[in-house]
Amino acid sequence: MNIHLKTSLNNIRRSPFQALAAVFVLFVTFFVSSILIVFIYSSNQLIKHYETRPQMIVFLKDTASEEDVGSLKTKLESDGRLKKVAHITKEQALEIYKNATKDNPLLSELVNPSVFPSSLEFSLNDLSYAEQVISELKNEEIVDEVRYTASLGGEESLTDVVSKLRQISYYIRLTGGIFIGFLLGTSLVLMIVIISMKMSTRRNEMDILDLIGATPSFVRTPVFLEAIFYTLAGVFSGWFLCFVLVLYLTPSLMEYFQEIPILPQDALGLVILFGLIFAAELFVGLLLSFFGSVLAVARTRKRK
Amino acid sequence: MPMLKLNNVTKTFGEILAVEDISFEVSEGEFVFITGPSGSGKSTIIKLILRQFTPDSGEIFLNETDFGKLKYKEIPKMRQKIGIVFQDFKMIPDRTLWENVEVALAVTNVPRKEWKERVTHVIKLVGLEKRTSLFPSQLAGGELQRGSLARALVANPSIILADEPTGNLDWKTAESIMELFEQINKEGKTIIMATHHLGLIEKHKNRVIELNEGKVVSDSGSKKEEKGGKKEENKEEGKTEEQKELNISDKKSKSDEVEK
Repeated sequence: MNIHLKTSLNNIRRSPFQALAAVFVLFVTFFVSSILIVFIYSSNQLIKHYETRPQMIVFLKDTASEEDVGSLKTKLESDGRLKKVAHITKEQALEIYKNATKDNPLLSELVNPSVFPSSLEFSLNDLSYAEQVISELKNEEIVDEVRYTASLGGEESLTDVVSKLRQISYYIRLTGGIFIGFLLGTSLVLMIVIISMKMSTRRNEMDILDLIGATPSFVRTPVFLEAIFYTLAGVFSGWFLCFVLVLYLTPSLMEYFQEIPILPQDALGLVILFGLIFAAELFVGLLLSFFGSVLAVARTRKRK
Repeated sequence: MPMLKLNNVTKTFGEILAVEDISFEVSEGEFVFITGPSGSGKSTIIKLILRQFTPDSGEIFLNETDFGKLKYKEIPKMRQKIGIVFQDFKMIPDRTLWENVEVALAVTNVPRKEWKERVTHVIKLVGLEKRTSLFPSQLAGGELQRGSLARALVANPSIILADEPTGNLDWKTAESIMELFEQINKEGKTIIMATHHLGLIEKHKNRVIELNEGKVVSDSGSKKEEKGGKKEENKEEGKTEEQKELNISDKKSKSDEVEK
């Protein structure tokens, strides 16, 4: 076994509680970070869902012929700004109305399909196209009225909906970012304290190594390796617990959110998402251990 | 050209003058005692040579390299060329004797495949074959000093500095350690030993530099020529340094007998 690796493992073994403290704090940091990342992902998916669900209904005039409707539908389908274009006939509109008023069947008994206008429904790829699309559609001869369907509770216009969603997303990111930053800061400080403590207890050994010609990197390498061990243990355990938790909660979450894909719908998607989270956390963790050990070494050498 | 040269070296600690205007030269293969009462500057000279301290003035040359002008990052490389033995042994407490010796090879980047052979060789040389798996706390003072000497030798340095190596040992053990130093010197290693053990100095007829209050008060001069003939007898042409050292270990060391 490599001499530095052996020294690191010995150091960990000889002060297990310090090692446990470091791993535990890193575990909490990366567990909470993983949860927050999943939460941010899900909130983005939620926003995306609201942004792309059928957001507009174009009510057509009763005079519009099947051909005109078909032609407008084809035109909308070929428009890159839109997607999920659907034609709702008068009969389908009545069915939707019946479904919506099924608690009060009397209301639906009094109506027939001719009361409802046929319509075209579609989503926008980006809500910023909304005003432009609306004004274009209003110029169409067979269009009677254009309405929004997106609403999060009382907003009167699409701009309100978008602004509210973006505000929610911003606060989630901001709060999550601050919290993750705070946790990473705590981990860094703890890492510095623990490594410094360990280096202080090994001062005698380091002085001897210094006298027999050890280079600073020779003395530092076991310290770096030790920090990397803590990071690997912390990142993996935090990430793994989050992964297991998400796997456990996925059926319930999917049932609750139904058609809203707040988590990847297939196993591969989930593995990719968590693979990316793990890679990112590992990168951050390694940076953390690098800076932690560099600062600890510098601090200990300064005291010398 | 001398192997080590101190030229008008002065070192002060605040108002205390540790060594003043020290000059001497040590040739390759010499055995030099630096002696004097406590506080006379013996250890300071050793530490100056090791570049633990930087001289206030003067120059220290080791193999023509000015130690005083070395950059910080160059110091380890130079220290690797020096074997060092301390009064308090300075063995790493949580490593076994074998690992303590091995670490000197690790710091000098000796290829790992050579470690076993070289460590075995020096451990045998100092007669600690049965103690390799013991930790420093499990070894006696003499054994610790032998281990320290093995560590100093394993990287095959050109010069060995010993700072009061017998200071913590009883007379018999001290004598056994001195025998080892003598044998190493006979094989061509340069040894500079700071000691106030007058009995040992008198017994081992080597060059003596005497210090008092940081100044050289006497230098008996090089004994190299006198001992040269004796040394030559031990040298066998065509053998490597390690093979020569192995010869020593093959002969039953006198020092072992003394200790036993």
